[in-house]
Amino acid sequence: MIAIKTKKRLTSVNPTSLALYGLIAWFVVAFLIYPNINIYYEIFFKDGNFSLEAAEKLLSSERAMRSLYNSFILAVSLVFTVNIVGVALVLISEYFDIKGAKILRLGYFTTLIYSGVVLVSGYKFVYGETGFMTKLLVGLFPAFDPTWFHGYWAVLFVMTFACTSNHVLFLSNAIRKIDFQTVEAAKNMCASTFYILWRVVLPVLKPTMFALTILIFLTGLAATSAPLILGGAEFQTITPMILTFSNSVSSRDLAALLALILGLATLVLLTIMIRFERKGNFMSVSKVKSEMVKQKINNRFGNIAAHIAAYCLFLLYIIPVVLIVVFSFTDAHSISTATLSLGSFSLSNYMTVFSDMSAFKPYLVSIVYAAAASVTVVALALAASRILHKYKNKWTFALEYSLLIPWMLPSTLIAIGLIVTFNTPRFIIGNSILVGTVWMLFLAYVIVHIPFTLRMVKASFFSLDGNLEDAAKNLGAKTFYTFRKVLLPIILPSTLAVLALNFNGILADYDLTVFLYHPLYQPLGIVIKNSTDTQALADTKALTLVYSVILMIMSAITLYLVYGRKSRV
Amino acid sequence: MITFNDIQIKFGDFHAIKNLNLHIEEGEFFTFLGPSGCGKTTILRGLVGFINPTSGQIRLRDKDITHVPIEKRGIGMVFQSYALFPTMNVYENIAFGMRVKKASKEEIDREVRDIARKVDLKEDQLFKKVSELSGGQQQRVAIARALILKPSILALDEPLSNLDAKLRVQLRNELKSLQKKFGITTIYVTHDQEEALTLSDRIAVFNNGIVEQVDTPEQVYNQSKTEFVCNFIGDINKIDRQMIQNSRLKDAIDPNKIAYIRNEKVSLHPLPGADAVQLKGTIADQEFYGLYSKYVIEVAGGGELKTIEKESGFARHNVGDEIDIYIKTSDILQY
Repeated sequence: MIAIKTKKRLTSVNPTSLALYGLIAWFVVAFLIYPNINIYYEIFFKDGNFSLEAAEKLLSSERAMRSLYNSFILAVSLVFTVNIVGVALVLISEYFDIKGAKILRLGYFTTLIYSGVVLVSGYKFVYGETGFMTKLLVGLFPAFDPTWFHGYWAVLFVMTFACTSNHVLFLSNAIRKIDFQTVEAAKNMCASTFYILWRVVLPVLKPTMFALTILIFLTGLAATSAPLILGGAEFQTITPMILTFSNSVSSRDLAALLALILGLATLVLLTIMIRFERKGNFMSVSKVKSEMVKQKINNRFGNIAAHIAAYCLFLLYIIPVVLIVVFSFTDAHSISTATLSLGSFSLSNYMTVFSDMSAFKPYLVSIVYAAAASVTVVALALAASRILHKYKNKWTFALEYSLLIPWMLPSTLIAIGLIVTFNTPRFIIGNSILVGTVWMLFLAYVIVHIPFTLRMVKASFFSLDGNLEDAAKNLGAKTFYTFRKVLLPIILPSTLAVLALNFNGILADYDLTVFLYHPLYQPLGIVIKNSTDTQALADTKALTLVYSVILMIMSAITLYLVYGRKSRV
Repeated sequence: MITFNDIQIKFGDFHAIKNLNLHIEEGEFFTFLGPSGCGKTTILRGLVGFINPTSGQIRLRDKDITHVPIEKRGIGMVFQSYALFPTMNVYENIAFGMRVKKASKEEIDREVRDIARKVDLKEDQLFKKVSELSGGQQQRVAIARALILKPSILALDEPLSNLDAKLRVQLRNELKSLQKKFGITTIYVTHDQEEALTLSDRIAVFNNGIVEQVDTPEQVYNQSKTEFVCNFIGDINKIDRQMIQNSRLKDAIDPNKIAYIRNEKVSLHPLPGADAVQLKGTIADQEFYGLYSKYVIEVAGGGELKTIEKESGFARHNVGDEIDIYIKTSDILQY
């Protein structure tokens, strides 16, 4: 009976769809489930026997334990510093009446177009030993140590300013949604500006701040490029340590164990975050909401202090960007000596990038990877969303949760999972080895971008009017024709927006790339990081500045197209 | 033309349609009427082919279509939301079915313009986005899209339910004249009794997956066959037992049955005929609606009766007035 039913069901599905379902199932099992389970085996089983050798090695390795401790310290410190700076930015740009807030906001938004390895290398370029700002400070204060920019404080400084993007996006949004009548009601009861801020405004922002705090903590734990570029020997954290261990076959188990610890911490924290999110945000009970009106700081000294703080923060955000843009137009000598003269300005760096193939190659590699991965992940998400939209059973439930696995795991763990799994021939991928091939990085890019893409594409699928499909069917259209002509054109704008965001994110990625890149095809992130080494040539540094400027422009265009004017996502 | 033979539709344990037997004539405007969840949309979707009946047979012109694919049934459908394709303009929406059938460009163009003219869509509206059209125009596009393939039946699933009251009346009239113009057999699903009464040649009243009555609108209203139908259609008074006991009504009403009388059959003026019964009462409440007034009367023998009276700009009776009430026993419905 069951066999007949199954046969009936299978024959009702057309062969192309069946092949597609098979392909998705294979991908999920081979790349999302298998490597993440295999990693446990690699850590805890040696030659088929259970072993705690990796754990013992970890406990006895002073460097590894130190890195765990450093990561924890960094995460905790960032929770304080990022929240203080992030909240200050949002209050300045959204809540208080600060003169020139629109321009200030542009400065605070720079981290949206300029992040990760590009930002860290930019800060090193500006504040490093030969950096423009360090030279300026030494000029002003001769006793100032030019080698100041390394170790814990440098990492904390950079990450504090680099990690405020989420505050700028989400906390600003939350503050804009506050019902202004609640503020007016408090004023009506004679509350002062700061009392209202403390008792009426900030409590409403608490759920958002809580979620942001967890994200900051996770960012701190998994920090890669900042400790790698600025940490120096004295401040190494987990991810750089995992990277070091993963490069040697004998310590790969240690790398995997460290990645697993990172993964467990992420899992626990995200679970807490989801639980708190489910408890819900504060819902406004107002019948008629009124828009937020910016608050004047009545205390004169308070007002002046707020303006000074606002403009100092603006300078801190804008200086690295401005200097990178300015120096990208100068020659190697100016870049290496951090000096500016009118005669040193030229377009030659830009011309080299676009005329010399070896200079353009990192761009090309990154563009090919970003384009291939973002198109693949969108295609996968479209197919999966279509299945999730069409059917609702235990298999689709399993499919959805499997596709969300990468959301709960740090990219480092995913990278290590892939490395320890596919460094030997595996039946599931036709007995081939993936480590050392160009496919490894492509797969990893696809995997880590699945959850975000799926959530976005699925949302647009589920917002479709179910009758559209029925109407097309009623008019004689077959499934694929309906998908192509009716459904796809409707969800295309939001799908393209997701594709653009993914493309942008992959283009200058470093944290995942560093584990899996092919030495002959170095993507931008790697080249940019390498240019921060002290022995890097001034010409290389010049090219990196050009790469950074172009990346910033591309990010700005993408963000404008996606979020600007008519929002697509 | 359409015959439903012993149709049953089940969703798991839920019995959506229970043993439906129904026949619809060629050219008829036939309405499935009932409250939400009664199975009316389910059976329409079963007819169009979106749902397979659990058992039974659907016949169209003596041909069994129970398992015929949707596109081969020749039934055009207009959806509740109209389901117009938002990325296509009016022309492309109407042409969709013909494009699927790979008709030639010339043929498509001729047919689209022809059907658009018939549903009163202007030439310049053909190339507008569907979102730029008014509710009425959107309805006409949905009908044109359904009719271009020359279906033998037009199925409409609550097409007026999302509109405001005034537009609903206007479109109802348009719909009726279009159906007359095309002469197509039309199956209309609605929960709105007024729509059903004004549009239909015949109505099937659904309740909990079964058909309670199939009749003309007049019969359904005046000769409701079941208690559910008489309660669902129009406003009605349930006659209190005390009122029956204390009046001449007891000679006409079976004591084992429940008696109802429609509001408009309760008169404040003497009625002719030997079966007219006079009662006494006091006005307990009065509502002025402009065209008529509605009165709630406390009857002297016990219970209440509601009635309506046409007005000429003012209410004739006030709360507290003592009045005579007249009803004819032949107007009483008993179940």
